[in-house]
Amino acid sequence: MSELFPRKQVMGFVFSLVLTAAALTVYFLDVSFAVGMTILLATAFIQAAVQLVGFMHAGESEDKVAIYANIYYGIAIALVTIFGTLLILVWDM
Amino acid sequence: MDYFDRFAIPHPSPAIYASMVAIGLTVIAILIGLTYFKKWSYLWREWLTTVDHKRIGIMYIIAALLMLFRGGVDALMMRAQTAVPDNKLLDAQHYNEVFTTHGVVMIIFMAMPFIYALMNFVVPLQIGARDVAFPRLNALSFWLFFMGAMLFNISFVIGGSPDAGWTSYFPLAGNDFSQSVGTNYYLMSIQIAGIGTLISGINFVTTIFKMRAPGMKLMKMPMFTWTALITNAIVVFAFPVLTVTLLLGTMDRLFGTHIFSMTNGGMDMLWANLFWVWGHPEVYILILPAFGIYSEIISTFSRRNLYGYTSMVASIVIISFFSFLVWTHHFYTMGQGPLTNSIFSITTMAIAIPTGIKIFNWLLTMRKGKIEFTVPMLYSVGFIPIFTIGGVTGVMLGMASADYQYHNTMFLVAHFHYTIIPGVVFAMLAGLTYWWPKMFGFMLNERIGKWAFWFIAIGFNVTFFPMFFTGLDGQARRMYTYSEASGYGPLNMLSFVGAVGLAIGFALIVYNVYYSTRHSSRNIGSDPWDARTLEWATQTPVQSYNFARTPHVDSIEAFWDYKKKGQPLFKGSIEKIHMPNNSGVPFIMSCIFFVWGFSFIFSMWIPAIITTIAIFACMAHRSFEKDDGYYIPVEEIEATEKDSEVLADENR
Amino acid sequence: MKTDNSLPLEYGTEQNKLNILGFWIFLGAEVMLFATLFATYFTLEHRTGSGPAGAEIFEITPVLIETILLLTSSFTIGLGVHAMRLGRKNAMMTFFAVTLLLGLAFLGVEIYEFTHYVHVGAGLQVSAFTGILLTTLGTHGAHVTVGLFWGLFIIMQVKKRGLTPETANKSFIFSLYWHFLDVVWIFIFSFIYLKGMM
Ligand code: HEM
Ligand SMILES: [Cu+2]
Repeated sequence: MSELFPRKQVMGFVFSLVLTAAALTVYFLDVSFAVGMTILLATAFIQAAVQLVGFMHAGESEDKVAIYANIYYGIAIALVTIFGTLLILVWDM
Repeated sequence: MDYFDRFAIPHPSPAIYASMVAIGLTVIAILIGLTYFKKWSYLWREWLTTVDHKRIGIMYIIAALLMLFRGGVDALMMRAQTAVPDNKLLDAQHYNEVFTTHGVVMIIFMAMPFIYALMNFVVPLQIGARDVAFPRLNALSFWLFFMGAMLFNISFVIGGSPDAGWTSYFPLAGNDFSQSVGTNYYLMSIQIAGIGTLISGINFVTTIFKMRAPGMKLMKMPMFTWTALITNAIVVFAFPVLTVTLLLGTMDRLFGTHIFSMTNGGMDMLWANLFWVWGHPEVYILILPAFGIYSEIISTFSRRNLYGYTSMVASIVIISFFSFLVWTHHFYTMGQGPLTNSIFSITTMAIAIPTGIKIFNWLLTMRKGKIEFTVPMLYSVGFIPIFTIGGVTGVMLGMASADYQYHNTMFLVAHFHYTIIPGVVFAMLAGLTYWWPKMFGFMLNERIGKWAFWFIAIGFNVTFFPMFFTGLDGQARRMYTYSEASGYGPLNMLSFVGAVGLAIGFALIVYNVYYSTRHSSRNIGSDPWDARTLEWATQTPVQSYNFARTPHVDSIEAFWDYKKKGQPLFKGSIEKIHMPNNSGVPFIMSCIFFVWGFSFIFSMWIPAIITTIAIFACMAHRSFEKDDGYYIPVEEIEATEKDSEVLADENR
Repeated sequence: MKTDNSLPLEYGTEQNKLNILGFWIFLGAEVMLFATLFATYFTLEHRTGSGPAGAEIFEITPVLIETILLLTSSFTIGLGVHAMRLGRKNAMMTFFAVTLLLGLAFLGVEIYEFTHYVHVGAGLQVSAFTGILLTTLGTHGAHVTVGLFWGLFIIMQVKKRGLTPETANKSFIFSLYWHFLDVVWIFIFSFIYLKGMM
């Protein structure tokens, strides 16, 4: 019977609710911009990781390496694009 | 009547009317020809619905060559206009349109399909696969590209061509300054072709990751396949940026948003930024396959292994990542601070290093080799010095403070032609000549080919080298004319002469195709160049299933080792082969995309909505369709393979 | 087609494996698509022209409802795939249907949200900020809409053809897509709404 119970999914769901609640503190409590952004960055990226590994089974198949390489590469370039753009057009303009 | 005014061209000239007539007549001639020779069903069965990577590759070649000539005519017009000071051949508006379409056609509709042509034809063969991972999507990619190209090309007879440069910077490209539908054509047609390219990117990455012959580890892949993998990885991550950029541009022009506008908070510089986030990776998309092609050709005709395989692989992997880190070098002068410019100046120079490594690898491959100067080899050897000039001037441009002097001058134009022409055009001509016998079963004539090469190589340098000087003297790019007093006249005349030389070279290539089709020997075997990689281990012409038995690979140059060291390549007996069915849906869907794009260009919302629904209906159809493909029985394979040499000499 | 029984059904054939890897690579491209929208959004965030700023128009209630709906739908589709791997066709179809209903509800709230924005003077054409806000949200919303139809088609196919390697493969890939949309939403929720209201 234990095999039937979707433990991974339930835990992932609970965890993402908790993280959402944690993120909400930046709205309900009076935090500074820096602290707020830190909280949001942490909760968002952890939640994304939970979805990726827990729900999307990113690491289960023989193509694990290709899949992770693809995701990491995408995220790295995405971050470069976002922060590079901000550097050029906002922070250093 | 007002409604129809927008379909008229805003700046008609006799040349445009003449082209209209010419296009009309050509279309009619083709239709009549097809009907008269009863070729409609052949065309539909064998080409329009095909999902075979080899046929798709050949269709890409035809389209790319057509576009090469369209872009070439634009180029000749530009050089003719600027050949003498104060020339009146083209007016300013017409010149704007010509340099815009030249840039777009050459990069998006010539270079890109040419690259995909060779990747389509060669990569599955080189890795010993039956086809690409998603043959149906592959056909869709081609047809989307093709329809995008056609949509772009009708602009100059219906509604007017885009005229804001191939970079289409806002606010110039906004509604205020570009009032004709030209820029809408730019946005929609590149969007359609770009989606096709993105699909190809996904397709080839999957293919190369998953469909290699047994034993072909990543580090045993031929160099061209490596560059194809990396190129497509860049496509996957760069093209979505283009998709969004074009989408936002379309929103501004058609739906009145203020993303790139000068009012209500819009930021025109954002376009330049996003464009080059895609644009710089794009120039590496163009050059990397060329690196692969040259690697194959140089090692084949030097009769030596590629020198420094691992460093070659490492440098392209590094390039793939670095190509996303340098985009600001295209707009050092835009107004961002010295911190940003310094960072991007450093990354820009850093990317020249892996590029330099490759040059040395090719030189060292040739060292002590028994070099044979065939036409493909001539292009490869010619590429090295010319491209080096392009790279060195690139590093000059990469120095932010110096770029304030060079930016937007003919010096820049000379730089990128010195990279793109040896890097794409030479490579594609070399690759085409090299793989031609595998595609068509006969060789192109070497003598005419060599003449063409010399015309192109010399013509190219005569055309573009003077631009370094006029650029340093201050001649700005994209200016339709200049005064006599500026003193640019003589060197521009020289450029024009060079351009004519280039044109003769291309004409010779066309003649060569005609000549060789009629006169070349058809009895050339399957490996006329004595080459090293798997595509030469199939019979010529290649059967639809590519390999009767899957090859087993245990070295980088499997076929060479099979020939010289007798390492077995094909083991086991022939089994039945699973093949995908042909389908008309990719073609039909792309035709709908054409109408969809056209509707948006002219803001015709009812057809736009209908075609949007129709596009989704095609996808829904695909979702429900059950298509298991079919099997080729063993007897049939054995019959076709009976007199193939490869089978025969396996028993030697 | 040869079927390999040691793996979950959706990995059963060679083509299935290709489809799954290909879809992951497509998701890599989607990451860049949304990253570009985010880069644009952050650049234009404070460029509100004469229009309202984010803090003036965002409302926490609908945003929270949307978030819970989407998170839950991501959970139910996870259960759907779990059921599928146990071979329980009906449970799987139910979970997929619940997922789609949650997605539909999400879309409903989002449409309400959009009309609200237009109402308070934050329409598409008002400023650079509103333009990119609605385009970013709209792109995500369009993805959800496509997902609704796609999911529906898949349920219909599973119902008709049962759980075959082919339908299982499609269902699994659809679940990847749906989870991915949830991930995108998490970033929208954190860096558009919460950051804007902070
Ligand atoms: C050695 C490596 C290279 C370096 C350091 C380099 C550097 C640069 C720089 C700094 C510019 C901008 C100059 C300006 O606008 O003032 C530029 C423009 C350009 N480069 Fe390169 N480049 C390199 C290689 C290439 C390659 C391999 C290609 C294409 C195959 C290429 C194609 C272009 C194009 C198309 C433009 C100009 C686009 C335009 O403004 O219309 N470059 N390059
Ligand atoms: Cu660049």
